[in-house]
Amino acid sequence: MNTFFKLRNYALIALMASSVVLTSCGDDDDDDVPEPVNEVEVITDVKLIFTNSNDASDVVEARAQDPDGQGVQELAILDTINLDTSKTYILTYEIFNNLETPGEDIGAEILAEDDEHQIFFSFTDGAFSSPTGNGNFDNAADPINYNDLDDNNIEVGLNTTWTTPSTMTANGSFRARLQHQPGVKTATSTVNTGDTDFDLEFVINIQ
Amino acid sequence: MIFRRSVKRLMFLSFLMLLSPIVGLSQSDSCNYSVRGTVLDVKTKKPIPYVNVVVRGANRGTVTDINGAYVIEGLCSKVNTVDVSGFGYSDSSSTSNTSQGETQNIYLEQKALKLKTVNVTGKLEKKKGTETISQIQMGQAELSIDPTRTLASAISEQQGVSFTSMGSNVQLPVIHGLYGNRVLVLNNGMKHGFQNWGTDHAPEVDIASASRITILKGAAGVRFGPEALGGAVIVESDPLNLRNPFNAQVGAGYQTNGRGYNSSLKLGQGFKKWSYFVNGSFTKIGDRETPDYVLTNSGKEENTFGAGLRFYSGNWDAKVYYSYVNQNLALLRSSIAHSGTALTQAINSEEPVIIRPFSYDIAEPNQLVQHHFAKAEVSWKNDKVGKLTMRAGRQINGRQEFDVRRNSELPIIDLELSTTDYQLDWKHKPWMGLDGLIGVQYFYQDNNNNPGTGTTPFIPNYNTDRYSAFLIESKGFGKNTIEAGVRMDFEINSVRGREVNQSIFRDEYDFANITTTVGYVRELSEKSSFRTNIGTAWRTPNMAELFSFGQHGFKTQFGLLRYYFNEEGEVRTDRVVPIAESEIEPEVGYKFINELEHKSGRNRHTLTAYSHYIENFIFNRPYAVISTIRGPMPVFIYDQADALFIGFDYSWNRSWTESISGTLGISYLWSTNMSKNEPLINQPPISADYRLTWNQGEFWWFTASKFTVKPRYTFQQFNAPREVPPEDLIDGTEIITNDSEIFDFKAAPDGYFLLDLTWQFELNRLSGSLSVNNLLNARYRDYLNEMRYFANEPGRNIMLNLRYRIGANQKGS
Repeated sequence: MNTFFKLRNYALIALMASSVVLTSCGDDDDDDVPEPVNEVEVITDVKLIFTNSNDASDVVEARAQDPDGQGVQELAILDTINLDTSKTYILTYEIFNNLETPGEDIGAEILAEDDEHQIFFSFTDGAFSSPTGNGNFDNAADPINYNDLDDNNIEVGLNTTWTTPSTMTANGSFRARLQHQPGVKTATSTVNTGDTDFDLEFVINIQ
Repeated sequence: MIFRRSVKRLMFLSFLMLLSPIVGLSQSDSCNYSVRGTVLDVKTKKPIPYVNVVVRGANRGTVTDINGAYVIEGLCSKVNTVDVSGFGYSDSSSTSNTSQGETQNIYLEQKALKLKTVNVTGKLEKKKGTETISQIQMGQAELSIDPTRTLASAISEQQGVSFTSMGSNVQLPVIHGLYGNRVLVLNNGMKHGFQNWGTDHAPEVDIASASRITILKGAAGVRFGPEALGGAVIVESDPLNLRNPFNAQVGAGYQTNGRGYNSSLKLGQGFKKWSYFVNGSFTKIGDRETPDYVLTNSGKEENTFGAGLRFYSGNWDAKVYYSYVNQNLALLRSSIAHSGTALTQAINSEEPVIIRPFSYDIAEPNQLVQHHFAKAEVSWKNDKVGKLTMRAGRQINGRQEFDVRRNSELPIIDLELSTTDYQLDWKHKPWMGLDGLIGVQYFYQDNNNNPGTGTTPFIPNYNTDRYSAFLIESKGFGKNTIEAGVRMDFEINSVRGREVNQSIFRDEYDFANITTTVGYVRELSEKSSFRTNIGTAWRTPNMAELFSFGQHGFKTQFGLLRYYFNEEGEVRTDRVVPIAESEIEPEVGYKFINELEHKSGRNRHTLTAYSHYIENFIFNRPYAVISTIRGPMPVFIYDQADALFIGFDYSWNRSWTESISGTLGISYLWSTNMSKNEPLINQPPISADYRLTWNQGEFWWFTASKFTVKPRYTFQQFNAPREVPPEDLIDGTEIITNDSEIFDFKAAPDGYFLLDLTWQFELNRLSGSLSVNNLLNARYRDYLNEMRYFANEPGRNIMLNLRYRIGANQKGS
């Protein structure tokens, strides 16, 4: 019966081996829920803020809102940009994800990574006396009055200056596009380089 | 389809009781006979290693070791005929009537022409329950030509098999038009437990360590469980042969395209009562190149390790396996488009939008995957009972995916999936002429999101429990064999996820299903045989199909439970629909597959024809363009419809001379969405190839040499959805509603011609291959590659792979 014992030994080895494999299973009633996250990707609200450079209380705001972020609800452009003639404005932004409470300030994050971001503009030809032309979508070298530079001395666009002419514009267009250009932002990168974080077109009236 | 759980448990139990009377009925002769011996060269009297030895009629076989020795145990008959076939020798057979322990020498005669076809080495060793299903096997010789290939790419040379991919690194096997969760990947007897959803998650299986791959082209659900709806790919590692002297193999290789290099080590030894193997490999490939430009971010890095141990004693046989695969896979940088404008630009651009100089660096988008696999298998043989096999397996799959985004250093997907399997099979003794296998299985999966992605989980946390039982019996009479099987599965799922506002959603649901198979094989004459099989199979929708929400790659997707239509018929995504309120049903497939084989003289023809009807087929389709903060975005939804697949695979093998043979292969598939009478998307186009092999045997100073030339033509997919470019959706030229005909963003690419060359050689202990893929440096795009929207396929690639055997003369104990 020597062989019997030998066989039993092998069986034991095998059983032990299988039990090693199987430890830590059987947690059938595992009911864990993914932890809540700070959503860093979604932008739901963008506000363009034009501040008169000579009068900080003269502020024009224009909002765009996508109430459900990645859901199917359509983006709403809530305001028209109404600027006065012959004035100089500083354009800044509020960029938020309001699916969270309180809302997450994505603008601060973009500022921290400004060497990967640039805002480009396109507008009705001649709507401004400075910058002239129709913006730098069609040609990245076209004039835009950028007031901010990143660590590599390349324009960012979170702060820009706009001077309106004495002539009026009705029902014009003003488009701002934030491009995310990680590793590809250069002095010559364009509106088509990298990926779009926002691309918003407003109606502009200069009166 | 949602039964009450208790009812299903009852059904399951009664099914088990139905099986129980069969237990104990089997009697009769023992399966303790064996054949053993040495295969020798008739002229030189030297042993011949690595030839196939198969026992006729017993579905048992082996390969001779380095000393030409073979042992096949567990045979039920005292008198056995063995068929021997090997590279460079004429086939031979030998009948033995020997008692235990006696050895028999078999002599082979050298011949310039040997292997009948490259694919089929000797006789197929068919798994129980698949004997009537059309199948193909591939061995180490073919797999080692390019050990850095993906599993899918390696098997795609076979008729009826192709692959769908996301670039050069992420490739999923396609069998007769089906892939993903519809083709089961069985790794060492266990379902490979990985994130199997979408087209961008490939099975993490290292083909360099595989000893054999079997491709089942029919529904093999009864034997292997749900998900084998379209077929199965069975990967087996080292068979752990006993009485195998110490052998080791060191391999190294280089490829010009991607400047990739690889190295591998395998060693193993078999004693009288135990054996082991250990293997490991390393691969690094940089950016691949098309004839005109670099495919920026298309490299890969892979490390693998595997080991096995076997104890054998009389009736007991125990095996333990462990394997580990660690991958860093790059995805094409230009495939990322975060807005409709960017997508339009990426699709319409002749060359990818981002091209940088060649680099080995892997940046975002990329995937980091670690897969651990452990398995123990014990089998026990008894004269009166038959053979009982118990398998237990555990797999842990960790996956992190990185995307191009503001926080690209954080993974956008970070999942850990653990899979546990228990299987008990009983191969009973022949009883009233019935040969059969009965099994019970328990399968458990636990998927968890790791925190720290900075984004709402795309896939929820979930747990799946599945209880299964199956019975397969076959009976042979004369030239006929009939095989039939039935299986019952009961599956419970629990899901917990987060909505974008971080509120929790939960769902619990279960499915019960019965799967059946009936098959018939007949030897029509000496020269012809016919096999036919009807199989049903089912599959529950996977988690991505049900719950995906938001952007992944260049698509914004909504799973079946993440969108609904309001009273105005508008699509809404503001709540998760409980599955009980939905009309979602599992997929159920019916596959009818027939194979006719005819041999005459120097010719062999094989025709495989099939039709496959799938109820509630789940697919991903473009739905609409919505305006978002990022600009207009194309939206995809998952949908269900009934689908039909009809096709054939044909191959004609002819030996033109003693040493030159050729095989013509044609694969044809037509498929349709029957509910809407429109084409399906991403279906393999018609393809034809010819493989001409010149098997020289001894050549120059090489001990063996074989040249293969393979021209291949892939047609355009004529049955593709219509083209609607994204700009037409964005500017409103084309308005898509729920009833619109299916479309694609780009027309199916043109047909293309490729030419591949391979030279395999052996110089005593050194063996290797020199091969050239896409010799003509053709510019083309592959319809089944999602990167077809953005870039061409890689150009010419010259590969040299060498293997050196060590320790061949050392004796085992």
